[in-house]
Amino acid sequence: MRILVVEDDALLADGLTATLTRAGHAVQQAHAGRHADLLLRAEEFDLVVLDVGLPDIDGFEVLRRMRARRSVTSVLVLTARDAIEDRVHGLDLGADDYLTKPFSLTEFEARVRALLRRSAAPPAQWSVAGLVVDVAGKRVRVHDKPVDLTPREWALLELFLARPNRVLSKDQIAESLFAVEETLSPNAIEVYVSRLRTKIDEAGVCIRTVRGFGYMWEGANE
Amino acid sequence: MSEGGRPSIRRRMLMFLISSLIVMVAGASAVSYWVALRSANDAYDRSLLDPALDIAENVRIDASGAHVDLPVKALEALVYDQVDRVIFQVRSPTDAIIDGVADLPPPPELGLGQQIFFDGVSDGQNIRIAAHRTASGYVVQVGETLHKRNRLIGEILVAEFVPTLLVAIAATALAWLGVAHGLRPLEELRLELMRRAPRDLRPLSEAAAPVETAPVVEAFNSLLSQVRDASTMQQRFLANAAHQLRTPLAGLQMHLELLLRRELAPDVRGEVERMHGATVRASRLANQLLALARVESAPEHGREFERIDLLTIADAAAREWAPRAHAADIDLGFALESAELRGDPLLLPELVDNLLDNALRYTAPGGAVTVRTGCHEGSPFLCVEDTGPGIPESERGKVLERFYRVPGTPGEGSGLGLAIVQEVVARHRGVLDIDVPTEHPGTRFCVRFPAAELFTAPI
Repeated sequence: MRILVVEDDALLADGLTATLTRAGHAVQQAHAGRHADLLLRAEEFDLVVLDVGLPDIDGFEVLRRMRARRSVTSVLVLTARDAIEDRVHGLDLGADDYLTKPFSLTEFEARVRALLRRSAAPPAQWSVAGLVVDVAGKRVRVHDKPVDLTPREWALLELFLARPNRVLSKDQIAESLFAVEETLSPNAIEVYVSRLRTKIDEAGVCIRTVRGFGYMWEGANE
Repeated sequence: MSEGGRPSIRRRMLMFLISSLIVMVAGASAVSYWVALRSANDAYDRSLLDPALDIAENVRIDASGAHVDLPVKALEALVYDQVDRVIFQVRSPTDAIIDGVADLPPPPELGLGQQIFFDGVSDGQNIRIAAHRTASGYVVQVGETLHKRNRLIGEILVAEFVPTLLVAIAATALAWLGVAHGLRPLEELRLELMRRAPRDLRPLSEAAAPVETAPVVEAFNSLLSQVRDASTMQQRFLANAAHQLRTPLAGLQMHLELLLRRELAPDVRGEVERMHGATVRASRLANQLLALARVESAPEHGREFERIDLLTIADAAAREWAPRAHAADIDLGFALESAELRGDPLLLPELVDNLLDNALRYTAPGGAVTVRTGCHEGSPFLCVEDTGPGIPESERGKVLERFYRVPGTPGEGSGLGLAIVQEVVARHRGVLDIDVPTEHPGTRFCVRFPAAELFTAPI
């Protein structure tokens, strides 16, 4: 994948580049807003890692110009400024995700993976630990043994796979899985999660409970 | 109003007023007394002269010499008076007493046909005397004691002085009240200043200030504005410094993490891990300084307050903190019910984050942290309970101070988290309680917000 890193701080830019290069991406750097803008006009990228505070035109302006050109490239905004106002502003302008400096390498890699996956075609097959999920065929294998899932358990699994390491509230799960007219109690959600857990437990994957709130699929998908 | 030996405006004004009043009352009384007395004296003198003239007309000179040609009864009637003793005397041109009493002083030099009034003494009593010298040189004198006149003096004194004195007393009382009334703007100014929160640097209202206090209010406002500018500068500096620290810290942290992914000798790895830990701590400190600067620069009276549900904020916190809690093997739980209030949408998440960060930091692996939101008797609340070591009662007040850490506490807290919490709570006029959870040992932080806030439209 081709990634553009727009960051004026050389230390951070080099670290980001090294990380992304090691993950197998082709990385290009820009240290100023105008330079980034020129590169983005001339070339195609799969992802832009965009710092807000740049010496000439700021990251938000680069983003605004990109979206004005109807570019659909994913943008991960980095900022040293403070959270919510900037986040709202960035997301309003069409940023896809957002990280506040300083952030951990793992966090950065997870966000990049998620964004690249979103822009890529959905994979035909997920594989996590001992679990193999054939998305198109709706088949699940645990340590090579086929497992039967009901449609609701399947929908639940898909939901978790699409949002690894993110906490999903029970309300959120109820809303995404079932039609609006069907009212589903939090207890019912617990039952479905518990059944899904039993069926795929042996594969060594983990659906964590956030007590009184919801669930979290732990571990990265490959 | 006059405290101790402190100068008092009221006392000064009253002293000035009373001393002026005394001088004025005394002066006015003296003048009117003198005028009234003079005219009364003139009237009495004239009526004293009448019998003298009458007697003079009746002085006859015949062979037996000069004598007063009046019957005794008529003479008695002429000099009769109810109050005073009236006496008369007739002297010849050669100064021989020809009629009346002997005990009257001789008149001063007097031309023919002239009259004069003078004071004298007769029979040991002060008397007033009217003297008249006839064309033929005889002198008729009529004298009377001063009882009438003295009574008149008393009456004039009472009539003149008492009303003036009453007016003076009334004026003093009115002035006392008037000064209090006039000084009320100062009292109001004092109350307005007393009611202020320590960081409320908004200017005082100049429109309501009367002309006399306006210069003071203006000068005070100019001072406030300087303090405000200085405070803004300081906050901006703090925000900028924290902000500028973040990028290099992010770079440093990233390179240390890259280094940790390499094959490292165990001792080198240990060193790098410690450096990494220190970097993360420094980043966190920068973030917290920034948060503190932001709380302090937030508008004092919550002009940017919005209707917010604590449940929503706790919901967002759950997503952010659950991964970290799992990583630390802490059971993070939630019991969330709707708790609406008017609050600052930037500061309330800061409050929840810092309480959670604190709870997770001091809870051992295998422990639990629970967040509760809801309404109790109409007051929205948010509680964070942990199964940590707890905070001794003697330390509970101190943990809210900046950079204070409970002695002997492990971990890497900056000592700023709870200070931020306290600031945010104060900004929302809430109350922060620290105690022990009902179901297990540990610490419980409970923030209760005022119930009415929600409905008192723009605060």
